[in-house]
Amino acid sequence: MPLLQIEDLEVFYGDFRALHGLGLAVEEGQTVSIIGANGAGKSTLLKAITGLERQKKGVIRYAGADITTMRADLIARAGMTMVPEGRRLFATLSVEDNLRMGGAMGRKGPWTLPAIYALFPALQELRDVNAARLSGGQQQMVSIGRALMTNPRLLLCDEISLGLAPKIIQDIYRCFEAVKQSGVSVVLIEQNVTLACAAASYVYCLLEGRVSLAGDPRSLSMNEISAAYFGTEAHP
Amino acid sequence: MIWIETIANGIFLGGLYALIGLGLGFTFGVMKIVNIAQGDFIVAAAFIGLALAPWTPGAALLVVIPVAIIAFLIGLALQSLLINRVLGKDQIPQILLTFGIAIILRNGMVEWFGANSRSIPTGSLRFASFSVGGLRFGVLPALVLVIALCLFAALHWWLRHSRMGRTIVATADDYEVVQLLGVNYRRVYNIATGIALALSAIAGVLLGMRGSFTPYSGVDRLLIAFEVVIIGGIGSFWGMFAGGLILGVTQIVGLKFDPTAGLMYGHIVFFLILIFAPMGIAGLLRR
Repeated sequence: MPLLQIEDLEVFYGDFRALHGLGLAVEEGQTVSIIGANGAGKSTLLKAITGLERQKKGVIRYAGADITTMRADLIARAGMTMVPEGRRLFATLSVEDNLRMGGAMGRKGPWTLPAIYALFPALQELRDVNAARLSGGQQQMVSIGRALMTNPRLLLCDEISLGLAPKIIQDIYRCFEAVKQSGVSVVLIEQNVTLACAAASYVYCLLEGRVSLAGDPRSLSMNEISAAYFGTEAHP
Repeated sequence: MIWIETIANGIFLGGLYALIGLGLGFTFGVMKIVNIAQGDFIVAAAFIGLALAPWTPGAALLVVIPVAIIAFLIGLALQSLLINRVLGKDQIPQILLTFGIAIILRNGMVEWFGANSRSIPTGSLRFASFSVGGLRFGVLPALVLVIALCLFAALHWWLRHSRMGRTIVATADDYEVVQLLGVNYRRVYNIATGIALALSAIAGVLLGMRGSFTPYSGVDRLLIAFEVVIIGGIGSFWGMFAGGLILGVTQIVGLKFDPTAGLMYGHIVFFLILIFAPMGIAGLLRR
């Protein structure tokens, strides 16, 4: 049975339907990427899965349990967390206190403060600095570190490359090797298709709230992907 | 010399005003909620203090401890049973709710205790005084300032260094993200309201010892609280304390010039700050 399984998911913002009967699955230990243009419903999907968005229909199953109507904090306690879009650090807290907040619920696992500092050595020196003073790349490291501190079984990442320099993106993506090694399953949301395909063993492409393409990125052609991404016909 | 004494008395009173503002400022800072009933809770706490005062003979100030505990529990119940139900993007339901609670509280107190003016007995403390360099000051007003200062410092320290405090600060920063870390923000809100009401209750009892109160005093208290928070700058801890001092000193100095002025000069200073520095003292310092 997949770790995460979604069937017929619909999300409404008032009268506007953001997701139309979406379905996908993530196996334990797998890294899955979800790509799609702006407004395709990627962030809405993650908000629905984590329980932050409550206006939804369909079924979301996680580790065998139906979590469709579960409260967000209880879903997090069951081992699913998210690196939110825009990093959203606690601006009045220091780097270390931000990380500590991740460990607040006390789930056991390999991710502790020393482990995070080993993963992102740059953060060690910045531990007492106010999180709002960091650069974008450093903030993203703290945001990922904070999520890892919950010792998740499933880690959802929303647009972590957004607004960062290519060199920094490379540095940050390198951390996912260690994350995968620790047995965490990962869902990456990306606008950057190349990054998404390189990091994952399975890719879903969203278009206007539906899955327009799914498969192993090595077996998909760039042509197919771009057709699914932009909603145009594939050129032979 | 008389001016030094006057200003010192203003500072003593200002410490208490700061404490009155703290509950409101804390509630707003953490939950973005304006508790209109805060002033009436302050008065209700004074009545509870009055009822419990006979239990602490000889050490009148100790009565703040049981009153604070009772207020904390009332805050937990208020937030979990009522306010949490109306939380959302729209601020109006929450303002209407606390406005309604204020009316119920005020009329309940009139019904129960009557409209007479009361004061919490403090025994010999009431007239005790001490002298510094030939100036005489009241012991009670000075103690009240010390208590206010200690409470500000303690809350500040606790928010920074305890686990629960950190969780409250984080929830104030982003109540959605804390849920992703397994925090039930509604529970955090319950505790925050408990703390806010406990602080207000201490202010209410101390105010009831220094002066008098009636069931209708809540409106004045709420106004002071708003002025302290706005003079200080919303969200600034020590700005709020400074706001209280400014209000206290202006009021006492104003009364010296014009004994019938009441709170007027304090309101004028508030008004000027609202016009010339709408972000408050903290906003001026940040520039």
